[in-house]
Amino acid sequence: MSFMSSLRTKKNYALITITALFLLITVASAQQDVSCYHCHTNVVEEFRNNIHYTMGFTCANCHGGSEESNTSVVSSNVMSGDFIGKPTRDKITNICSKCHAQETNDYKQSIHWDAITKGHPEAATCTDCHGIHEIRAISDNKSSSNHQNSPATCAKCHANSEIMSAWYYGIKADRMDTYKESFHWKALKNGYKVVATCADCHENHITKSHTDPASTTYPDNLPRTCGKEGCHPGVKFDAAIAAGLVHDKESLHTGDLVFNKSGLTPQMKAYYFGPFDLAYWIATFFKILTAGVIGAFTGMVILDCLSRFKLQKRW
Amino acid sequence: MKKALAVELSDSTKFSGDRNMGEVFFKRFTFNQLVQHWVMIGSFMALVVTGMPVKFPDTWWSPVIIGLVGGFEMRTQIHHAAGITMVVLGVYHIVYHLFVDKEPLSERKVWPTIKDAKDFWQTIFFYLGKAEHPKFGRYSWKEKFDYWGAFWGMVMLCVTGLIMLFPFVAMNFIPYAYVHLATIIHTDEALLATLFIFIVHWWNVHYSPEVFPMSKAWITGNLSEEQMKHEHPLEYEEIMRQMAEKNEVANS
Repeated sequence: MSFMSSLRTKKNYALITITALFLLITVASAQQDVSCYHCHTNVVEEFRNNIHYTMGFTCANCHGGSEESNTSVVSSNVMSGDFIGKPTRDKITNICSKCHAQETNDYKQSIHWDAITKGHPEAATCTDCHGIHEIRAISDNKSSSNHQNSPATCAKCHANSEIMSAWYYGIKADRMDTYKESFHWKALKNGYKVVATCADCHENHITKSHTDPASTTYPDNLPRTCGKEGCHPGVKFDAAIAAGLVHDKESLHTGDLVFNKSGLTPQMKAYYFGPFDLAYWIATFFKILTAGVIGAFTGMVILDCLSRFKLQKRW
Repeated sequence: MKKALAVELSDSTKFSGDRNMGEVFFKRFTFNQLVQHWVMIGSFMALVVTGMPVKFPDTWWSPVIIGLVGGFEMRTQIHHAAGITMVVLGVYHIVYHLFVDKEPLSERKVWPTIKDAKDFWQTIFFYLGKAEHPKFGRYSWKEKFDYWGAFWGMVMLCVTGLIMLFPFVAMNFIPYAYVHLATIIHTDEALLATLFIFIVHWWNVHYSPEVFPMSKAWITGNLSEEQMKHEHPLEYEEIMRQMAEKNEVANS
């Protein structure tokens, strides 16, 4: 009897199956240092990338309850005691503040928290920027809240006109588009990281509206914000930074003649010379000039070229 | 034996020489002017290569070029260094030709004249086969357009470039909005200059069958007698006339 045919006997088949099962359980058990894994597999997979996981925190540290469940009755113990499950959006800060008191304190002065307390729980809270289960260290390149990824993270909401217009305060949804026109973005996208991203001007936790005098982006505060250590030191405090759009793009400037400029913001007004928006008219001037000069001279080069086929003797 | 003999054109009274000694070269550019042009070529090309990827950041070649020059920070350093070189060149050019060059301003041959406008139309008619080729003097209307185009471009690019290099110094005098206007002027004018140099200027001095692969005047500063007769016949005749007069004076 050959080895292969002996495998086919029922007894051996059962043996092999049992061995495989043990192997499987051993492998599965290696993944089992987080007991919630059996049911919340994806969540735990994410949690393994979490800086808190590497520091020894467990599910219970945020979600409450107990993790000392035995394998047979998985959930009964976990959901006992102070288990809070999935916190509502306005309660997330309560969890983070247990350790990150200073950050939470800063965040609670922000316009985001302000919106949440006013009954708009969609406003950004800790997890929207830092991630829910996959919270990475700020120094981690993959962190959604580090310096170079913050534009994409903020754009999740701020480039979404549906989310922005859903709220009564009408925030502009072109903040990412306009940022992309800036030198800061063009440098950042090519790997030069020593440039301003969202949080450098707007602050990460104490994000305030530019209409709030305490905001870093309030017009009078702009010279100090731009003049930060490591950015543009030496900026004079009366520098005319507010007389212009920091978030600018071509489509904001039109050829419409504006004679009554009372409806314009001071930022926009700075572009006008009489009724003309200079940003539009200078760009238009150069379009005409370039098309005219290059068109005329290229035409002449072509004529010059063609003339050589007709006229053998040029002089 | 062929001996090169350079004829000083801007100051033709200095001319002395004997045509029988061999091939005659005509001095087109002084060494000073040649060096200015070389510095211009170097800084201009560096500025185009490092500037255009930022003018067109979303094109496929933008990150390629930035990678080739050594990253974005290096790109910025090169652009700034070349830009400052060009500013210094522009200042030197103006200072030299206003204060050092003794030729009276009104007698400079670089000013546009009515003849240039006529030559312009005659050139077009010539291309269409309906007129003789116009006879040019020291500078043809094309060369004058090149020069004044570059002059205008230098002023635009240097001023706006300095505003962009020191935006917060500039903002002590002008509002932030004008720094934006400077970026519009800087990049649009740069694009115009680049297209003009690459298409028109290079046609005239590189690709055109008369000079292909290139006119060597930018290296030697000289034109051959043949080239002078063809490209600057009026100037050639003038020089020949002055030479004859001089010889008469010397012989009498």
